[in-house]
Amino acid sequence: MNQLVLSVKDLAITYHSASGPVPAVRGVSFDLAVGDSLGLAGESGCGKSTLANALLRLLPDGTTTSGEVMIDGQDLFALSPGGLRAVRWTTGAIVFQGALHALNPVQTAGRQVREPMLIHHTVGSEDEARVRSRQLFERVGLPANQLDAYPHQLSGGQRQRVLIAMALACDPQLLIADEPTTALDLMVQAQVLALIAELRRESSLSLIFITHDLSVLTYVADHLAIMYAGKIVEEGPSLSVFQNATHPYTRALAAAFPTIGDPSSRLAPSGLAGDPPTPGALPSGCPFHPRCPLAEDRCQTAEPDLRPAGPGQRAACVLV
Amino acid sequence: MSSIVSLNDVHVHFGSSRAVDGVSVDVKPGEVLALVGESGSGKTTLIRAVQGLQTVTSGEIAYTASAEPVSEPDGGRGRGNRGVQMIFQDPTGALNPRQTIYEIVAEGLRIRKESQNEAERVGRALSRAGLRPPERFFPMYPHQISGGQRQRVVIAGAMVMEPDLLLADEPVASLDASIRGEILALMLELVEETGLSILVVTHDLGLAWNIADRVAVMYLGRIVELGPTEQILGEPRHPYTRALLSVVPETTRMEQQILIGEIPDSRRIPVGCRFHPRCPLLQSGTLAAEVASRCTTEDPGPVDMNADSAAACWAVT
Repeated sequence: MNQLVLSVKDLAITYHSASGPVPAVRGVSFDLAVGDSLGLAGESGCGKSTLANALLRLLPDGTTTSGEVMIDGQDLFALSPGGLRAVRWTTGAIVFQGALHALNPVQTAGRQVREPMLIHHTVGSEDEARVRSRQLFERVGLPANQLDAYPHQLSGGQRQRVLIAMALACDPQLLIADEPTTALDLMVQAQVLALIAELRRESSLSLIFITHDLSVLTYVADHLAIMYAGKIVEEGPSLSVFQNATHPYTRALAAAFPTIGDPSSRLAPSGLAGDPPTPGALPSGCPFHPRCPLAEDRCQTAEPDLRPAGPGQRAACVLV
Repeated sequence: MSSIVSLNDVHVHFGSSRAVDGVSVDVKPGEVLALVGESGSGKTTLIRAVQGLQTVTSGEIAYTASAEPVSEPDGGRGRGNRGVQMIFQDPTGALNPRQTIYEIVAEGLRIRKESQNEAERVGRALSRAGLRPPERFFPMYPHQISGGQRQRVVIAGAMVMEPDLLLADEPVASLDASIRGEILALMLELVEETGLSILVVTHDLGLAWNIADRVAVMYLGRIVELGPTEQILGEPRHPYTRALLSVVPETTRMEQQILIGEIPDSRRIPVGCRFHPRCPLLQSGTLAAEVASRCTTEDPGPVDMNADSAAACWAVT
């Protein structure tokens, strides 16, 4: 067994809104070994972004969490403010979607890449930070002259590269990427995915990659976890989950993006009736049952746990 | 058969920027044509020109009689074309939060002062868009319905005008994956039931595979490849189409060709073939010298809209 960079046990996260508690994550467990990658897929409201933010304790004040997160052997929820600062950026760093909003518009790209190094004292001097930021730009495929560019002078793909350079500034062990390619064009998305794959080959960087597009994950992730209504409903090696999905929801998600050239999807788009449930108002029993094409009576009353569904694969469905 | 709309050498320039730079294509009755391209390809500018929201610099957009823009007394085109309706990417942004679903769908009729049988027509448009029974939705506000239902309301607002041509700009890009298929299936249903034509602008080749009869691939203001969907997505000939297809995560059978850089600025369109600075075929060095020199000096020109399929590439014969 490889050393774990992350171990999550029965994590539950509840927001508190004016209209009552909103359980966004309802008991999620997984391990991530050093150098491994996990793809988290699901739709809006499934809890995937809440989960990502929780892994670095970036949730708003007043949010209730329970369960355990061990990051690089340390208990995340027991960390002091100083200990937490040290974990953010240096142990785990996060890349958000929408690169325009995540960058400061009045600072140069280079300045924003140097800042975490200076704050966390991973470099000894401003000069050293400059040298390192040039190396990082080279590593993410940006020309050095763009260190002096402001975010508005960069394209969407370049801004996303700046964010990745920033996340790598303090040489973290874990990179959390929350829909980093969603706003990008197809070709730019391919460039960014290739960059992330290359960064992982070069070092023992561990990766959590979050998206709603299952097919993207087969590129970047060794393991997949599909989330629905705050829980993992299927997990396993990414190719087997993608190709031999056993949970009806995973199957629908995989079919939503058709395989081009596959006659069965030609002029036959495939979708699910209804919408993903709202976290504050989950259906009884299996939360997927109102949309499930295979639902039976018993699905309305009991919520199934994850159970074996093939080699290394588990799914939370009574039909498995 | 005649076309619903026919574009002949359409140019839309903004100062020195040639956003649309000579596009000829027609949309046939009952056809779904997908205009595929990345940001900066000019696809959104082009669809706005077809809607009449964007003045063309030169060239011609000819509509069939029923889709003809109505000239307004003030000479403007403020009310757009009755027979051409448009739906946008983000249904939440497209709906007025303070109007009921009924008012939203009836708005087009009211603007045109077509008040006869209003309730019946609104009801029919809503049920056509899959919101049944329609009366249940009449008094509701956009925040009371789901994202997928909101996009159906947007579609109902377009269908109430009984258009011949529906323009759709990334109709499912902001929707959840599982809802996407339902909306695309609805679009196909509308074509089948009403004989409507759809011109859909997207960067999503899977969408084209799901619903389009023909695909036009745009690059830097031009259509560079045009033809039946099976052919364009099955045996693409233009190196740009081939590269795009190779990076779609849903295709695994092709070797990835990741192009360097991004679409150039439309103020500085490269000479020769506009794709040549990024062309993997040219860079591979396998082209005959006389072909390669044409690529860098001579514009292959727009594709022939009357051919069954066509690619604007010197290396394609």
